Amino acid sequence: MSRRDDREGMLVVAGSVLAALVLTVVPLPVALEPFRPYWVALVMIYWHLESGRLHGLGPAFALGLVVDVLTGALLGRHALSLVILNFLLRRFRNRIRFFPPWQQALAVGALLLNDRVVHLWVVGLLERSWPGWAFWLPPLVGMALWPWLFLLLDGLRSRRRGGRA
Amino acid sequence: MNGPYGQRALIGVSSGTARLMAYSLLAITLMALDHRGRYVDHLRDIATQLVEPLVLLIDLPFQSAERLNEFWTQRVELVDRVRSLEREALARDAALGELADLAAENARLRALIDAAARQPQRALAAELVAIDLDPFAHRIVVKRGSTDGVGIGMPVIDARGVVGQVEQSDRSTARVILLTDPDHALPVQVLPSGERTIAYGSGRVDRLRLNDLPMNTTVKTGDLVVTSGLGGQFPPGLPVGRLFALERPDGEPFARAEVEPLAGMDRNRMVLILQSAPAPESLEAETRPDTPPEGAPAIDNGAQPGEAGENDNDRQPTPAEPLPASAEGLQ
Repeated sequence: MSRRDDREGMLVVAGSVLAALVLTVVPLPVALEPFRPYWVALVMIYWHLESGRLHGLGPAFALGLVVDVLTGALLGRHALSLVILNFLLRRFRNRIRFFPPWQQALAVGALLLNDRVVHLWVVGLLERSWPGWAFWLPPLVGMALWPWLFLLLDGLRSRRRGGRA
Repeated sequence: MNGPYGQRALIGVSSGTARLMAYSLLAITLMALDHRGRYVDHLRDIATQLVEPLVLLIDLPFQSAERLNEFWTQRVELVDRVRSLEREALARDAALGELADLAAENARLRALIDAAARQPQRALAAELVAIDLDPFAHRIVVKRGSTDGVGIGMPVIDARGVVGQVEQSDRSTARVILLTDPDHALPVQVLPSGERTIAYGSGRVDRLRLNDLPMNTTVKTGDLVVTSGLGGQFPPGLPVGRLFALERPDGEPFARAEVEPLAGMDRNRMVLILQSAPAPESLEAETRPDTPPEGAPAIDNGAQPGEAGENDNDRQPTPAEPLPASAEGLQ
């Protein structure tokens, strides 16, 4: 675990987070819009689970604020959601980490669903009406995407490592 | 790589919970401030400026693709439109040639019967600047005034039919009373039967009333209603509307009909003011001492509608009064 290794690893993390941010605001056709998964959360979950990076509540909070500003959401909404997500992840990390992929996907789905409840709480406080059924789609999409995202990021990470070994 | 994490894990759950509480509180406070008082607008502005390059960068390919797409569709549409307009112009030209012929013929015939030549109409395009907000006063204000030669009583039309007449003319604006104003009455003729009557404004923007048709009237729904030219304010034959409903109420002396105006009363942005319509009294007074201008009607109109009507009798009503060519282009 050299310093250089660490720095390159950080680069991959930063790159993936940036990609997640881009995917968060990239314009989608209206029909696909409700299916947009919570990319930032997915990437954060991966790094937290697999390498222990982005594990602090502080980075999660900051990342959430960036998402808030980018998406024009109420300032602090995604920050709160990511902080809670991160906290839960911390609790269950050791269990989820050694699940087989499909079970892991289920666990991630459950985490994202819980995150949606947090959002629902904020939305429910602010708006007069409840969001429609489409509100619950992103966790499902996120769950379906999880194994592939896992493989992709794992591949990126090990190639970095393998390229030098 | 487990180093930092392991250390943190040792600190224990309670401190983690405390940190969670602290961060959650911070987030909730932020949300409350953002939602309630807009206290953090400044903060958000700064943050937005920081992330703006990222947003622009992400948006760039989509924006340019969209613009390219727009450009092409616009081009295709424009080419289409130019073609259809060219075809239309051709058809119009043919029609105009015919009209010129008819006009010449008409002039000859009129010379034969010694009737006054029809006055050529000059139309002034005027843009709408305001509407009266009172639902029962149907007035619009247009951006042409006395400096443009707009005078009281001049007819106002659009490409489809009569809109109203100028009620008041200021320096650069004029107020137009719409046909549908309850205070407005317009002498009309129902085609093809040729019956003359008066169309009253109903106060509804899509209805005119014919209140005093005889019970044995031969008009029917769908008939075209045009100006009769009586009263001298409007040239004859301008399309006004279509007969919409006809009823003969029991115990009433007259049959009643409703007319749907052809002009887009509440949809116009441009109207035409017909300038050489029979001039208002003030102008006439100036011209009267001299020999009447060649185009003026033989009978002093405006003052004696009855007489003017007789003059009108031997004139076949022309349903499709050729509106000035510009009228078509404007709509």
